[in-house]
Amino acid sequence: MTGTNTDMATAITTSEDPTPFGWLTTADHKRVGRLYIVSAIIMLLVGVLLDVIVRIDLTSGTDFVVLDGDSFGQLFALSRETLVLLFLIPIFLGFSMYIVPLQIGAGNLAFPRAAAASYWVWLVSAGVLFGAYIGNGGPYGGNSDLVDLHMLAVGGLVVGLLIGAVVIGATAMTMRSPGLYMDTTPPYSWSALVTASMLVVSLPVLLGQLVILYVDHRYGRVFLGGNFGIWERIDWLYRAPQLFMYSVPVLGIASEVVLASAKRRVFEPLAMYFTIGLLGLFGFGAWANFAITNEGSDIIDGAEGIVLVAMYGGALLAITGLLALIGLALVQTLMQNRKVPEITTSLLASLGAGKFLLTGALCGFIGAAVDWLEIGDRGNLGNAQLRMTTWVTGQQSVMIYGAGLLGVLAAVHWWAPKIWGRQLNELLGKLNFLVIAGGAFLASVGPFLSGLLTDQPDFVYQDPSMTSIYSNLVDDSGAEGLSALGLVGTLIVLSGVALLLLNMFVSITLKKGMEATDDPWSGQSPEWLLSSPPAMGQLAELQDLSSGTPLLDIAEAEEAASNG
Amino acid sequence: MADNTPTLVSGEPQRPRAQFVATGFAIAAAAMMIAGALAMYMARRHASGIHPGSEWLNGLKVPNPQFDYALLTLYTSIVTAHWALWASRRRDTAHAWTAIATTIVLGLGFVNMVIYSLNRMELEIGSGEYPNLAFATTGLSLALVVVGLIYLGLMGLRSVGGSVGQHGSTPLGSAVFFWDFVAVAWTATWYAVYVVK
Repeated sequence: MTGTNTDMATAITTSEDPTPFGWLTTADHKRVGRLYIVSAIIMLLVGVLLDVIVRIDLTSGTDFVVLDGDSFGQLFALSRETLVLLFLIPIFLGFSMYIVPLQIGAGNLAFPRAAAASYWVWLVSAGVLFGAYIGNGGPYGGNSDLVDLHMLAVGGLVVGLLIGAVVIGATAMTMRSPGLYMDTTPPYSWSALVTASMLVVSLPVLLGQLVILYVDHRYGRVFLGGNFGIWERIDWLYRAPQLFMYSVPVLGIASEVVLASAKRRVFEPLAMYFTIGLLGLFGFGAWANFAITNEGSDIIDGAEGIVLVAMYGGALLAITGLLALIGLALVQTLMQNRKVPEITTSLLASLGAGKFLLTGALCGFIGAAVDWLEIGDRGNLGNAQLRMTTWVTGQQSVMIYGAGLLGVLAAVHWWAPKIWGRQLNELLGKLNFLVIAGGAFLASVGPFLSGLLTDQPDFVYQDPSMTSIYSNLVDDSGAEGLSALGLVGTLIVLSGVALLLLNMFVSITLKKGMEATDDPWSGQSPEWLLSSPPAMGQLAELQDLSSGTPLLDIAEAEEAASNG
Repeated sequence: MADNTPTLVSGEPQRPRAQFVATGFAIAAAAMMIAGALAMYMARRHASGIHPGSEWLNGLKVPNPQFDYALLTLYTSIVTAHWALWASRRRDTAHAWTAIATTIVLGLGFVNMVIYSLNRMELEIGSGEYPNLAFATTGLSLALVVVGLIYLGLMGLRSVGGSVGQHGSTPLGSAVFFWDFVAVAWTATWYAVYVVK
C-alpha cells in the first residue's frame, strides 16, 4: 500500500446532488452517516432533558414533583427509549456508515439505498414514537390506540436499525479491499462488525415479542394486563448487559485514538480483536428477559445467577484486557521514546470512556454477585434485589452518559476533519470532556448509592394510578438527597451535550474551526489517506490496500530507511 | 496510480457475495425474531400450569393432518427451489422457469393450507391466551413465508430473465437459502404451537 492511493481514492465514480433534495434522495454513505450522527446528537439532547424531568420527580420521597403517576411512567419509558434507540445505537451506526467504507477501501456501503432506507425508517418511526407519547400513548398511556402505535413505532425503529446493522455487517465482511484481511482490519471497523452482528441477533428478539404484545393488547388483553405489562417485557433492551453491546464501538474508537496517539501498533492484534468480540458476546442481553425467563421469575437464583455473574465477569475481563493492551502502547511510548503523546480531546475522552466501561462492568458484576449470593439478605425479608433498584439507573448512566457519550465525544473530535473538513475547538473539547465526565460520575453515583443504601426502586411495574408509586407501595424516604445528586449530574451532562452542539455549530456550521489537513492526527488507518473531507459521491475503491495501518507502515519504512 | 477508471461496471455486480452475506444476516435476524416469539409462547404456556390438564387450549382441536400436509408441501417446495438453482447454474432456462413457478405455487398452496387449518380450528383472535399467541407466532412465520416467496420470485426473475449462469445464479442462491430457512422457521413454529401445543 502506498500513499499514492489518495489520487485513486479521491476519484469519484458517481456524483451527488448538492441541493437539499440531494440529501433526501442520497445513497452516499457519507451523507447518510452524517444524517444519522447529527440526528442522534439532537435526540440525545431530548433524551437527557427527559431524564432530567424524571429525576426531578425522584427527588421527593413521597410525591410527584412535576408529573403525575401516568406521565411519570410514560416519560420514564420515553427517556430510556430516546437514549438507547434514538441516540446510542444510531449514532455509532452513523459513524460506522461513514467511516467503515473509508477504512476498508470500499467505494460505498454494500447496499447504499438500504442504508438510506434505514435512516428514513428510523427517523419517521422516531416521529411516530414521539407522536404516540404526545397523544397519551406508550407504556402506561391512557389512549389504547396510541399505545398500539407506540409498539408499531418501536418496531419501526428496530427494523430501521436492523437494516443499518445488516448493511454495516455485509460491508465489513464483503467490501474490504482484496488484500485487506479480517485480522488486519482497523479496530473500529472490526468493532462495527461485532456490534452489527450482535444487533442482528438481539434486536429481532424484541421484534418477535412486540408482535405478540401488539396482538394481545389490540385483541382482548388476555395476558398483558392492560398497558402495564408492556414495559417490563421490553425494558431488557435498555439495561445491562445489553448496554455493553451498544458500547462495543467505544472500544474500537479508543483503540484507534490511543494507538494513533502512541504512534505504535498494538502489542498483540489478535488479542485486541478477540477482546472486542468478547464484549459483544457478553453483551447479549435478550436471554435476561422478563418475558422469556418464565414471566418474571427470579432470574438471579440458581444457574441463571451464575450465568449472569459469569457474563459480567467476562465483560469485565474483556474490557480490562483491551484497555491493558492499548494502555501498554502508551506506556511503551513514554518509556522508550521519552515522549509524552499529544493530549487531545479524543485521547482524554477515549481513556475516560474506557474507564466508565470498566466501571459499568464492575458494578454489573458486583450487583449480580450481591443478588445471587443474597448478600445483605437481598431478595429476602423485604430487601429489594439490586437489579430492581436504582443501581440499574446508575449502570445506565455509566454506560450511556459515561462510556457512550464520552465515546461519541472522542469520535466526533477525532473524525470531524474527515466528516466535515474542520477540526473542532480543542479547548472547548477538553472543557466538554470535564463537564461530561463529571456529570456522568454524579449522575451515576447518586442512583448507585440510593439503590444500595435505601433500596430506592428503579421502577415499579404496576398500575401507577392505583399505587401512587412514591407514596404507598414504595417508601423512598432517605433517597431524596442521593436522587438530587443524580439530578445535578444529569443537568451537568445536559450542559455537556449543549456544549458539544455549540462546539459543532461554531467550528463546523460557522466554519470557525481550523481547516483540516488530510491527516491532522498522524492517524494510522486508511481513511487518513483520503482528503478531508472526501468528496461527496461514490469513491473509487482502493484496490491494493493490504494493511489496516498503511500510514504507520509508511512512517516505519521511512524511519528504517533513515536509520540506515 | 493514475488509473481513475471506475471500478464498478454497470450491470456487473463486483461483489456478488455481498447479497449472500446480507441474506445470512437477515436469516439470523429472522431466526432470532421467531425464537423470541416462541420463547415468549413457551414461557406463557409454562406459566399456565401443568400440562396436560390446564385449560390452555380451551377446547380448541388442532387439525393435525392438515398441518402435516402443509408442512410436506413446504418441504416439497424446498426441493423445487433447489431444482431451480441447479437449473439456473447450468443455464437451463426452461427448467429454471418451471422450477421457480412450481416453488411459488407450492408456497402459495402452503399459505392457503395453513389458513384453511386455522379456520377449521376455529381459532378466534382475542378469545384466549393460546389463540392470541398462536395467531401472533403463526402470523410471524407466515409473514416470513410471504417475504421468502417475494424474494424468490424477484431473484428468479433477475437471474433467469437476465444472466443465467454461474454468476447470475448468486441472487437466486441467496433467495433459496432464505427459503430453506423459512421451512426451518415454520417447522419450529409448527412443532411448538401445534404439536407440543
